[in-house]
Amino acid sequence: MTTGAPIVVDGVSKRYETPSGAVSAVDAVSLTVRPREFVSLLGPSGCGKSTLLGMIGGLVRPDAGRILIEGAPISGPTPSKVALVFQDPGLFPWRTALDNVGFGLELLGVPAARRREIALGLLEPMGLKGFEARYPRELSGGMRQRVAIARALALDTPILLMDEPFGALDEQTRLLMGEWLVDVRRRTERTVVFVTHSLHEAIALSDRIAVMTARPGRIKDVVEVPLPYPRALDGPDAVALHAKLWAQIREESLRAMEGKS
Amino acid sequence: MRVWLWRAAVLVVALAVWEISARMLNPMLYVGPSRLPAALGRVLSTRDLPPLPGHLWLTLGEIAAAYAFAITGGLWVGFLLGLRQSVGRVYEPLLATLYAVPSVIWYPSLMLFLGLGPASKIAFGFLLGFFPVTLAVLAGIRQVPAALVTVAVSMGARPFTVFRKVMLPAMASTLAGGLRTGLALSVVGVLVGELLGARAGLGYVINYAYGLMMTAEYAALVVLVAVAVLLLDGAAALVEQRVKTWTG
Repeated sequence: MTTGAPIVVDGVSKRYETPSGAVSAVDAVSLTVRPREFVSLLGPSGCGKSTLLGMIGGLVRPDAGRILIEGAPISGPTPSKVALVFQDPGLFPWRTALDNVGFGLELLGVPAARRREIALGLLEPMGLKGFEARYPRELSGGMRQRVAIARALALDTPILLMDEPFGALDEQTRLLMGEWLVDVRRRTERTVVFVTHSLHEAIALSDRIAVMTARPGRIKDVVEVPLPYPRALDGPDAVALHAKLWAQIREESLRAMEGKS
Repeated sequence: MRVWLWRAAVLVVALAVWEISARMLNPMLYVGPSRLPAALGRVLSTRDLPPLPGHLWLTLGEIAAAYAFAITGGLWVGFLLGLRQSVGRVYEPLLATLYAVPSVIWYPSLMLFLGLGPASKIAFGFLLGFFPVTLAVLAGIRQVPAALVTVAVSMGARPFTVFRKVMLPAMASTLAGGLRTGLALSVVGVLVGELLGARAGLGYVINYAYGLMMTAEYAALVVLVAVAVLLLDGAAALVEQRVKTWTG
């Protein structure tokens, strides 16, 4: 096992008890993420990719296996190393954009003046200059998610976990946010694990894509994306990759649909 | 602005209708608004009625005590049932059942147990104010968005920090609404208690005037109480509005 890896997922399983019996959400998944790598977890809805991300983030306790963050096994959230972003921006409605970004720092006991400085430094390059004093209800969906990402970046962790962060946004905003995230990543050099069900999003953003099976979630294949940035999704390599991924995902999505009906 | 004009118009029309209909009916029983100021003057000066200030202060004290108990008990029970789900599952249905029973039926028992003095009034004001506060806490806890709690937990917040920085602000407007209703009902409890059986207090004076057929004085006292309660509730509404604006 590589000790330099920021994230090691080692034979992790998770079952949920439901009224109709136990459901296996994630089954014996192993995955090693390299330093500063962008890995997407791609799979049909309900395949356990969010559960897997939750376990890496320490929010969900695995039933079996273990997770190492920078070589140390985790038993809960590790905000010093891992920050999370969710599909729901989860901004606190009673806090301004600036105070939302400073929330994690506040928990760490960072003084107000320093929090303000850090938050302003994050909001400005995100195109949110002038919106610092706005409340979440006064911001657009894309802006809210950028504030949520800024709040996660404020913790200055080496690892960023993102659970379908652009899933609730419209197509155009989503594409722009993807471009913006590529740029953020270049500037901040973080290791990112990104959950998505969008093939395009995965191809546009990732170094590697872990394709997951329908429930119970296993890793079916890990695909390298050796394309340079900025990525043109209509180039021959991207199209070929899309076809390859779709062939794998289609099968799983069909299974997921049949499993539901 | 237009809304205020309309409200003023409604008030003026209501007063006019009241005045006109009172003048057409038996003046012994029906008191129009024009007779109220003089009646209020008599209430304060007459020797036929018990002196008002002392009774007023007693009632205010009883309300303050009843409301203090209602807040303390309501918050405590609400958070206990809402945050300890094992306890909540057992006692919440019981609470809902008790709430459905008209509280007034407990009052005779309270007088039997606690006597005719302030204790039974405070207990009744507490009983009425307690439920809305408790239920607001329970509703407030349920409406805290799970996403906000998850964010805080993912950033390493401990349970107490989650409570203070996420749950309390997220439920503040519901809680403020419950505290306002609780105040109104504590006032009702104390006054009803005094009307039904007491030897002192504002309700007692009202009952006294009523018993002597001093209808004008009686009406003046009722309007006085109504105005006082409206002002109190108006102040509470302002506080509630501030909290709502703050928490979005």
